[in-house]
Amino acid sequence: MAIARTDLLQGTLELLILKTLARESMHGYGIVQHIHETVEDLLKIEDGSLYPALYRMEERGWVSSEWGLSENNRRAKFYTLTKAGRKQLDAECANWDRVSKAITRILQTA
Amino acid sequence: MKAVISLFKRRKEIEREVEEELGFHVELLRREHLQQGMSPEAANAATHKRFGDLTQIKNQCVAITSRSHPLIRALKAFLVLMFLSGILVRLSAGEVNFRHLGNLLMAVSVLGHLLLYARGLTPARFLSKSDTVPLSIFDDGSGVPIAPFDESKRTPIERVISDD
Repeated sequence: MAIARTDLLQGTLELLILKTLARESMHGYGIVQHIHETVEDLLKIEDGSLYPALYRMEERGWVSSEWGLSENNRRAKFYTLTKAGRKQLDAECANWDRVSKAITRILQTA
Repeated sequence: MKAVISLFKRRKEIEREVEEELGFHVELLRREHLQQGMSPEAANAATHKRFGDLTQIKNQCVAITSRSHPLIRALKAFLVLMFLSGILVRLSAGEVNFRHLGNLLMAVSVLGHLLLYARGLTPARFLSKSDTVPLSIFDDGSGVPIAPFDESKRTPIERVISDD
């Protein structure tokens, strides 16, 4: 049976990207692969949608980008978390934690 | 004028870079599908399905990069100043020649703005409905649209929970 479509909280994708880049600099494909591998089939991302999000994050100064060579020796654009991005990640993590705790509490009261 | 020329050159450069970046991703996706034993046709179809609309994504990325370019901001500020100077000259000028100069300044400024808008740098461009990221929960095939972060769109419960 198909599960009903649900809107998740604002900024979820940005949070996933920030968290992924906190480990190391990566190109877009690497970011998506990491998210796919981590969440397995729980979340499915349309790969291309990552890029407008990455570009907006770069515009806001949360990530910086630089062209480099990929593991296959091809030119690829690598994204790195900036200081502002790290602060944003902390803020978003704290916010996510509060939101999920609050919702869990509500769900547990019946 | 040189700034305008370099601005448009820069746009071509941005387009080329975005194409290269997205092309890299699409190529790796295609290879991934081929390695899974798909036929080239099936790999192309699966790549397209997983990546989404390449042209639309490219246009979004180009628009975001172009609007944030410092030259655009400087050029827009310059055009606004030029328009205001045109009004001032027009109002204070006694001679016909000066009034013409005022008209010219205003016309060039308006033309400049129209040119920037014609290049796709309109505010509406950045508020498109496609500005969402489809995600699916439990991979049942239905996309769950996740919008990028926007404080004004936060739900009341999110505000209550997140605001101390």
